[in-house]
Amino acid sequence: MKKIIKVLLTMSVILITAACAGNASGNDGYPNKNIEMVAPASPGGGWDLTARSLEKVLSEQELVDKNINVVNKPGGGGEVGWKYLKSKDSHSLAVNSSLVLTNNLLEQSELTYEEFTPIATLATEWQALAVPADSPYQSASEFLKATKEDPTAVKIGVGPGLGNDDHLSLVQAASEFGINPAELNFLVYEGGGDVVTALLGGHVDAVTTSLSEVKDQHLAGKLKILAVSSDEPLEDLEDVPTWQDEGVDMVFPHWRGLMGPPDMTEDEIAYWDKKLEKMVETNQWQKVLENNDWEDFYKNSEETKAFLQEQHDLYQRLINDSGLLDN
Amino acid sequence: MDVNSFMEGLSIAIEPINIVWIIIGGFLGTIVGMLPGLGPATAVAVLIPMTFGMNPVSAIILMAAIYYGAMYGGSRSSILLNTPGDGSAIAATFDGYPMAREGMAGQALAISAVASFIGGLIAVIGFIFLAEPLAAFALEFGPAEYFLLMLLTLSAIVSLSIGKMVKGFLAMSIGLALSTVGIDTQTGIYRFTFGSSHLSEGIDFLIVIIGVYAIGEVLYNLLSIDEQRKEKKKVGKVWFSKEQWRRSKWPILRSGPLGFIIGVLPGAGGSIASMISYTTERQLSKRSSEFGKGAVEGLAAPESANNSASVGAMIPLLTMGIPGSGTTAVMLGALIMLGLRPGPLLFEQQPETAWALINSMFIGNIALVIINILLVGALVKVLDTPPKVLYPMIVVLAFIGTYTLSYATFDFYFLLLFGVIGLFMKVLDFPIAPLVLALIVGSDMEQNFRMALTSSNGSFGIFFSSGVSIALIVLTLLSLLYPLVVHWMKRKSQNKHEDQMYKSS
Repeated sequence: MKKIIKVLLTMSVILITAACAGNASGNDGYPNKNIEMVAPASPGGGWDLTARSLEKVLSEQELVDKNINVVNKPGGGGEVGWKYLKSKDSHSLAVNSSLVLTNNLLEQSELTYEEFTPIATLATEWQALAVPADSPYQSASEFLKATKEDPTAVKIGVGPGLGNDDHLSLVQAASEFGINPAELNFLVYEGGGDVVTALLGGHVDAVTTSLSEVKDQHLAGKLKILAVSSDEPLEDLEDVPTWQDEGVDMVFPHWRGLMGPPDMTEDEIAYWDKKLEKMVETNQWQKVLENNDWEDFYKNSEETKAFLQEQHDLYQRLINDSGLLDN
Repeated sequence: MDVNSFMEGLSIAIEPINIVWIIIGGFLGTIVGMLPGLGPATAVAVLIPMTFGMNPVSAIILMAAIYYGAMYGGSRSSILLNTPGDGSAIAATFDGYPMAREGMAGQALAISAVASFIGGLIAVIGFIFLAEPLAAFALEFGPAEYFLLMLLTLSAIVSLSIGKMVKGFLAMSIGLALSTVGIDTQTGIYRFTFGSSHLSEGIDFLIVIIGVYAIGEVLYNLLSIDEQRKEKKKVGKVWFSKEQWRRSKWPILRSGPLGFIIGVLPGAGGSIASMISYTTERQLSKRSSEFGKGAVEGLAAPESANNSASVGAMIPLLTMGIPGSGTTAVMLGALIMLGLRPGPLLFEQQPETAWALINSMFIGNIALVIINILLVGALVKVLDTPPKVLYPMIVVLAFIGTYTLSYATFDFYFLLLFGVIGLFMKVLDFPIAPLVLALIVGSDMEQNFRMALTSSNGSFGIFFSSGVSIALIVLTLLSLLYPLVVHWMKRKSQNKHEDQMYKSS
């Protein structure tokens, strides 16, 4: 038995060293080896789909001539993958989203967005507030008024955790309307699907979630979307008002982007600016956006840097308002 | 049911290329199901890049075939090696492994394939006629009902621990304690993670299953490897006897619909379905004392239930776009990439796609029962493999399976830790299933309990507020008290007996 354990330990040590081995390289003609696209999530999730779509379009449109490999590093709301990225060279990039900001703001991670090199913002989804088809609230302003009168009486479903965009988008709407968001009554479900099931079954009064989770249900008349967080009405959903139409001054993107390890050179950043700018124009990428109900949200590295800064300040305010850090 | 779309779906499903996909998927599913740690979710995820070039209908047919194929395969290693490949195959170890040890491995493998087949067929027929009303029924389940369903599942621990109740409950408590590790979804607070981001999403129950069962079994056998019995184990016939069929027939027919209904509930799935069906059959059976020692119906019932649950899990996916299990969640992601969006509009806009899938499951189950029965002869040879070859192979597979769960070598430490825990549990004669079961349902049970109370503003009345919840409470009480009642009746009849003896003397 001792022997077996020894063998097992040796095996794990070998695997760990193999996984950690850094790849030293010179910089003549970037990229000079395979590109690694880190999806900080399990296969099948949103980040994984983003990474795989990037890999597919960049390779098939022959924009990048080196191989691109998707690597899954799930755990800690992205933290495991991003920590891994931090230890790699400029041939590794990772998919990100607002979690790269909020993990730290929520005091769940030491990593900050400033430790990485912003590469691009690629696409966004919009947030939606939905209620059952026969709900007493037939508009977002009715919903907010009722909530303002008695914040605890309205049960709101959200998933998979407080502090995410689903949660914070409603926090922002509520505080713009003069409601103390810390008083809202949230039930936290495991994921977007569970939230929708709970709404359809009448176990919650409203849900705040990604538009794609509720769009088909709305079109099928099973539930009603009261407001979307986009800046203008969306295709197929012309009858659904934006928050701005409802008198709440906010636009809330649920964006996805790409970042690199610390200390990438200007040439390397410029390389990706050039490639990604071309990629987002291709029909194939447009098709990816359409299939996923995403919208083009391309910003180059420079714009992304400023955008992240601005988002960081916004999230800081929202998380303070939400009361999540009080307990 | 719309007959035109049904026929159109059937004609798509029997296109030669789709039949090929069904067979490939079913075979692949059987294989991954058999290997400890490699489950259908991993298999589907690994195939995602491959499905990119495929027609979306073929892709969904292939992925579904892997899913229910894994339900057939999962029990193979439970029966032969006492190492379940997945949560839903745990129940197959209770009686399947004892059967194999008594030289009935062939019969056990055959009856479980046939049970899976019948369960699958019942579920496909149920799907055709009941998809919509059942989807509506699933929506009735709120946090309170889910909590009670998990409680009912946990009550199975009582019947799994007969004779060693204290040890059973200790194992359950450890499982429940382990399930609290990780982020608490209601508050976002990290519990017992010791600052490690690897622990932030909790301890994956699959690592625990692989550890306590596979590694634990290997270590346990290592203790006695040198005095390993020389005599060749009999593998028995590869078909079951009439008597075995007579005993299994009704349990299979009862467990099919039961598993199907549980499978429809998002978040419940094969583990819960097979466990509830096992407990139910044990309590209904006149031979309940044989359960756990190689009762054929104790193997057949959960096998029928978990396969029908995997078909049932397709209902919320297809009718509402809501994934009911880990595997269907991965499938949903892959299908969206292909531009096929399951949901309430699917049956209206692309009914032929939905019906092609349903028909393919019909064909797939027929293909799988043939594949699995043909494999019986080859699989029983595993028992002839010398332990010094077999056990190292299991260890390697266990490590590979663990790595594919989250691609982290960190998990290996857990695997070894739980292997040692499994060894001690076996040596000290603790039942293992209560630990694993408690870990599987623990976290959902806690979260749903708290969500229920939040939504009722703290009133416990919510647990008695619907017909479904009251029915679940009654079932749980029956399940908990049944062994006591039996015990009490026995004592009473014994007393009577003694009284009579006393009087007559």
